[in-house]
Amino acid sequence: MTTVDTPSRVHATLVTGRRELAPGVVLLELDAPELAASALPGQFVMAIPPSGESAATALGIYEAQMRCASLLFFVTGKRTRELSVMHVGERLDVVGPLGNGFDLSGSPRRVAIVAGGVGIASVLLPAQALIRARARVTLLYGARTASLLVEAQRFADAGCEVALATDDGTAGYHGYVTDLLERSRNHDLILACGPSPMLRAVARVAHQIGVRAQLSLEETFACGVGGCWGCVVPIVRTSAQAPSFPPESAGGSDVVHARICKEGPVFWSNELRW
Amino acid sequence: MVETQPSLAVKIGKLQLPYPTLMGSGCYGSGKEFVQFADLRKIGAVVLKSVTRLPRMGNATPRLVHTPAGMLNAIGLQNPGIDWYLEHEVPKYARLPWRVVGSVAGFSVDDYAYVCERLAARDEIAGIELNISCPNVASEGETFACNPQLTAKVVRTCRDLTDKTLIVKLSPNVTDIAAIAYEAEAAGADALAVINTVRGMAIDVDTWHPRLGNVTGGLSGPAIRPIAVLAVYEVARVVTIPIVGQGGIETTRDALEFFLAGATAVSIGTANFTDPRIPERIVEELREYLWNRNLASIGEIVGKANVGFATAHEYEGDEG
Repeated sequence: MTTVDTPSRVHATLVTGRRELAPGVVLLELDAPELAASALPGQFVMAIPPSGESAATALGIYEAQMRCASLLFFVTGKRTRELSVMHVGERLDVVGPLGNGFDLSGSPRRVAIVAGGVGIASVLLPAQALIRARARVTLLYGARTASLLVEAQRFADAGCEVALATDDGTAGYHGYVTDLLERSRNHDLILACGPSPMLRAVARVAHQIGVRAQLSLEETFACGVGGCWGCVVPIVRTSAQAPSFPPESAGGSDVVHARICKEGPVFWSNELRW
Repeated sequence: MVETQPSLAVKIGKLQLPYPTLMGSGCYGSGKEFVQFADLRKIGAVVLKSVTRLPRMGNATPRLVHTPAGMLNAIGLQNPGIDWYLEHEVPKYARLPWRVVGSVAGFSVDDYAYVCERLAARDEIAGIELNISCPNVASEGETFACNPQLTAKVVRTCRDLTDKTLIVKLSPNVTDIAAIAYEAEAAGADALAVINTVRGMAIDVDTWHPRLGNVTGGLSGPAIRPIAVLAVYEVARVVTIPIVGQGGIETTRDALEFFLAGATAVSIGTANFTDPRIPERIVEELREYLWNRNLASIGEIVGKANVGFATAHEYEGDEG
């Protein structure tokens, strides 16, 4: 993964659209021309709560087009609830774009994108970029139940092959989305975003089938900008993303803690030691 | 009538600060992490993340959990150790346009002495905060700040090693914080940081696992503000050195409570995670507050909480 210096800043945006894609799944469209112009696939923003009453929320940048950047999220608590009830015309300040996104270099030809649940929020931009670069992209998309499989058509329209999986069998394959990955063939790159158990399974399957995988990790952030060391993951010291820390004296470990918000959120699966 | 702008400048030991606002240790990196999002010309100083004698990997994850009106953290003093830090990190602070205060943590008096002496010797470092109150490193971290004799010993030892400003960060997890504060001043502290986080715990009732990898953590944010204001008030009654008040400050009115309770300066930590523009907003509004009351400097309100008689007013805090 290459580290990038992006022109991050605080953007004062206006909500220009709000859609409830499913109960508790909301898409906010923001008028944010500079954010939309600078966002790279896999980057995120910290959304500052309009009330000022809770910590900022890390949200993947779903789409970035012309003046519009959009955020797709599940309502899971107080902070996302506040964002979910925003109206068109209201102001939302966001800090970003932040983090190191997906590495799409090396001209991958056949890419599998694995998304679980709200992980779909971070994979449209890479899918679009890969399709523009004439790669063949398959979206393997899993959720608990059919109604939570939002935006699948959007990916099909963008040119992805789409395969669905649900835990309860209400749509697509009845089982885990990683089962679909296990059966897939001929991919030369895997990108994944979703809950940690899914990402661990993707890492295992990727290893089995011998395909490199990039995982966009999920973790609770405090600052989101690398200042607090609250969101770390152990990675090998030889990783290009390893912070330049000295060898841990106790045991001379070859593992270091990297910040998910700063060195990530996207890491090569074979470099993680989690 | 005040003719000039009210002054927000304060003196903490030998440290002259243009603004009475510090960025709390461990919350703000070195400041560079926030430079694109905040105006660092409008802060007093950044207190750096604590450094120890040996490198530390820090605690297992999760290290953070958001809680009602705050958050629990248990980072575990992840840091590269003082030798590497002096060679690779400290030089980066040479030309920063804001002041940085080093933070020293340890597990023995020797540890504190070793790190404090080396860090304080560097020109890049404007002063030293002794973090004797980290709640998240096994059982030893808070030993010093929970014991008046140990507090005195570590402060006196470090005092003999440097003339730079020594700020001693105290723990709220004690029976009598004033007694500890008194010892710290007697041992030579230039200032006191009041308070570190309040110990806490959260449990996931679905999995029955603690929500933090370290099981317990330190609570910060507005949840602890009244605890912190009281601690400042109690400490201010027994010491004459400046107090840096901290604990859940999010707004100018929150900061004012600390000044009125007896703090000379305030520190902002968790609020930077809500909005990185909060510190600059607070200094602008503090100036406005002083201007509106014809006060020439922030020093005029320090410790002026009128506790001489009880008021029948309703408490007008955010929580109503």
